[in-house]
Amino acid sequence: MRDGSTLFRGPNPRAADGLILLLIIAIAVIAAFPLVWMVLSSLKTPAESMQTPPVWFPATPNLSAYREVAEVIDAQRSFWNSFLIATTTTAGILVTSLMAGYAFAKYQFRGRDTLFAVMIATMFLPPIVTLIPLYRLVTYMGFNASLIGVIVPNLANAFGIFLMRQFIAGVPDELIDAARVDGASELRIVFSVVAPAVVPAIAALALFAFVYHWNTYLWPLTVLQGNSADYPIVLSLGRLLSYNRGAMNTGLVMAGATLAVLPPLVLFVFLQRFFVDSIVSSGVKG
Amino acid sequence: MNAISRVWIAAAATMMPLTAYAQDVQLTYLTHWAPDTVALLEEAASAYSAEHPGVTISVRAVPFGDLLTTIRSGGTDGTTIASIYDLWLPALVKDGLVAPAPENVAKEVSDNWPAGIAAAASVDGAIYGIPNEVNVYALNYNKALFEEAGIAAPPKTWDELKDAAAKLTDLSAGQQGFGMINSWAAGVVHPFASLLVSNGGQLIADGKPLLDSKEALETFQLYETMIKEGYSVAAMGTADANTTGPYLDNFVSGKTGMIIMANWWESALKGGMGDDFDNIGTAPIPVGPSGDAPRSISYSWQTVVNAGATPAEQEAAWDFLVWLNGPESGKNGASAMADILQSMGILPSRNSDIEAYSDALNRPFLEGYVSTLADAQAFPIVLGGQEFSEALQQVIEQLQYGQITAEEAQANAQADAVSILERAAQ
Amino acid sequence: MRRSHFGSPWLMLTPAISLISVFILVPIVLTVWLSFHDWSTQTGFGAARFVGLRNYEDLFGPISVGRDFRRAFLNTAVYTVLSVVIILPLSVLFGLLVHQTRVAGGQVLRTILFSTYMVPMIAVALVWSKLYSPTEGPINQILSWIGIGPQPWLSSPDTALFSLVILNVWQQIGYFTVLVIAGLTQIPLSLYEAARIDGANRMQEFFGITLPLLRRTLLFSSVIAVINAVQVFEPVVLITQGGPANSTNVLTFHIRRVGIERAQGGLGSAMAVMLMLSLIVIIVLIFAMARQKEER
Repeated sequence: MRDGSTLFRGPNPRAADGLILLLIIAIAVIAAFPLVWMVLSSLKTPAESMQTPPVWFPATPNLSAYREVAEVIDAQRSFWNSFLIATTTTAGILVTSLMAGYAFAKYQFRGRDTLFAVMIATMFLPPIVTLIPLYRLVTYMGFNASLIGVIVPNLANAFGIFLMRQFIAGVPDELIDAARVDGASELRIVFSVVAPAVVPAIAALALFAFVYHWNTYLWPLTVLQGNSADYPIVLSLGRLLSYNRGAMNTGLVMAGATLAVLPPLVLFVFLQRFFVDSIVSSGVKG
Repeated sequence: MNAISRVWIAAAATMMPLTAYAQDVQLTYLTHWAPDTVALLEEAASAYSAEHPGVTISVRAVPFGDLLTTIRSGGTDGTTIASIYDLWLPALVKDGLVAPAPENVAKEVSDNWPAGIAAAASVDGAIYGIPNEVNVYALNYNKALFEEAGIAAPPKTWDELKDAAAKLTDLSAGQQGFGMINSWAAGVVHPFASLLVSNGGQLIADGKPLLDSKEALETFQLYETMIKEGYSVAAMGTADANTTGPYLDNFVSGKTGMIIMANWWESALKGGMGDDFDNIGTAPIPVGPSGDAPRSISYSWQTVVNAGATPAEQEAAWDFLVWLNGPESGKNGASAMADILQSMGILPSRNSDIEAYSDALNRPFLEGYVSTLADAQAFPIVLGGQEFSEALQQVIEQLQYGQITAEEAQANAQADAVSILERAAQ
Repeated sequence: MRRSHFGSPWLMLTPAISLISVFILVPIVLTVWLSFHDWSTQTGFGAARFVGLRNYEDLFGPISVGRDFRRAFLNTAVYTVLSVVIILPLSVLFGLLVHQTRVAGGQVLRTILFSTYMVPMIAVALVWSKLYSPTEGPINQILSWIGIGPQPWLSSPDTALFSLVILNVWQQIGYFTVLVIAGLTQIPLSLYEAARIDGANRMQEFFGITLPLLRRTLLFSSVIAVINAVQVFEPVVLITQGGPANSTNVLTFHIRRVGIERAQGGLGSAMAVMLMLSLIVIIVLIFAMARQKEER
């Protein structure tokens, strides 16, 4: 037997298999249910959303809630803001992490391990710990109420440095030395010799950073100060909730939530191999 | 902006008062209104900009729960204009965030608004804001449920209130007689305060909390009775950050017989009930054993101008606000602000607006509120008021969920209030 | 690793280190410094007035400031412990289900579990607030089919925090499941074969081989789960507002309310420092526990 299902190997394999299958189906259904409910609710009429006990399936699915979302919030603008925040932040993280990861993996210098430990320690810090003074600092810099204020403080992070160091350590020194002999500058080596050798790690980090910064809520909420023109979609969702003083807008809110969920979900379905790889590597080597 | 450029602009502004508007001024206006109402405000703002080229006004909106945090975190770099709840004013003045109204604006306010409301926009005699909406609490009841239970008229006293609540309660059918909200500070504290003043008591007088009075104890005991007898089910009263949720759902769907709520809920009730909205009646707050007449609590909203804005911005902001709240900007002698507020069913407060809308304000639901306005006390406005409200909210919710007795609630509430108000005054 | 002769490392380190210094390290130092001061968040740092330990005394004092903080701290701790205690065993069970290849469906399960991790917390909160709705929500409806009466979920102080834990577990479980799968793939199959020759039953295999060899993974999982759990914010700010009766007031929500909404920056910073210290203690404890076991 060449599988890892040691827990489920029983005296009566047929019955055990049936049980396992049942368990898998049950868990999958429970896990998927909230998302299915979200989509179903977005297609209901307001009257259907209000019924007790709840109706599960809309009599005639209608898309009017989605049209209403576009009227209530500038959905296009919000998506663009989310996209801008997520992509520029991700790009920044990639560049800074590659460079720092390379230095920590391949350079020998005084205080390296201490410095690395200090950087890594920040990974364990919840954002609320620094929120109050950070907000003031960003205001001093004049970045408040703007997308720059959302993006700039997040352009480097410890997780990225950590992940890159782990992978770059595995790049053969000979490859780097050969490039040096050819007279390549260190910056050139990072981006045209080392980076191509760690593409899976870069892909994984990019995806993680993108999804994280697409979804993040606390910092944009704090720094944007109600400047709704710059709101990413997750903040605009909060505005939907207050539409018409909140009365009876379940369909509207669910339609907005469905729209906000789509981009990270689509990204994941197509690229899940990279996500899983990166978790595997960060988890095991960590 | 540094001090030198501020001085320079101030000098420029005084030397060239007529050309002050020639330079482009960009104003930002922060509100908690919903997107549909924001659209009306934007319409009014562009009408103003059309007459005043060079002045552009952009509206920013956050949910109510984020409004104070947004004003606070913006500080003097925040929006030029902000819509605020009167309770927040003293702290904002103390921190130097809001600018005092210029003399002409202050005169406009004291001449055209009821004295109590103008007072809520003042700190130490100086006016800081232009009032707009006013809210007052009353008893809302479901006439259909009253008929079913054989109750002829809305309760006038606390005994009648308990009696009606008992008749309206049918826990097996998931029906409670009297609904009490939780999870939202003002929603919890204001109905309590309305009952307290109708029992002859006060929350705060002369800056000192008066929750240790006999009147307050009786109010806490009323809550305790409602919970103990099952007339009120705490879990049916939860509200979310937008003041919707089970509390609203239960009243709208006829599972709650009576609530004490403010007039601005009209639009939410209408939206939730459709034609059934006609079943909702409004009555004065029932009078307690130590009270002599029905009273109520009112609070107002106002717009303030950021003290950190440039003199040119401040001048333009006040000019816009005077116009927005003045009789020229709206329909039939009302202000544009009153038109916006009435679109949500909210009471305007300017004398000329109340006159302009006198017909609309006589509709059955609102009439009950307008009539209580005369006997309403403004919710006490003191430094630390928000924190005081939140602390009292916690005590009342503990009582609602049966975690403490009325006597404990009274002792805790008074002790909290004393320490909070003392610290805030430092 | 060899000594490098190719220029200073600082060219490579400067972008990352300066950003992390300015936006994380300096704010940490400021938070600690501010916690000893009376400071209105509205004013510049220069306006802070030194008050010694007064903020900390208030946090442990009998007044409402202290009571609310301790409640928020306790709520956060309960939320965190419950989350970790539920997530870890579930992730092992789900990991085994996905990792086994005898029965089809493992990969589909992994995809579904992990996709919930992609959903923004704000959307999760909105959807679950509707699922939990006492009258119009499907959860109470489903419970009624199997004869269980309506539960108050977010409307009762006894159940509200736990309801948020369920929401958190639902969103996060996929990530931890994949961590466990990663750990499982590292276990050499020869160990199981040897065990079978010795006649071990499947329970003995699980507790004798699988679980011990997953220790490092579970250690990592528990640290991440703790860090994620103490950040709970969106469902509280959007749905419960800390209620009912303070039962879901958690630290991120409370610190933001005190430090920014009430502008009590010094007091808020003292709370943030307490959170930071507790996290350090917990993480050190988790690692120490793991090391002790390793030595045994």
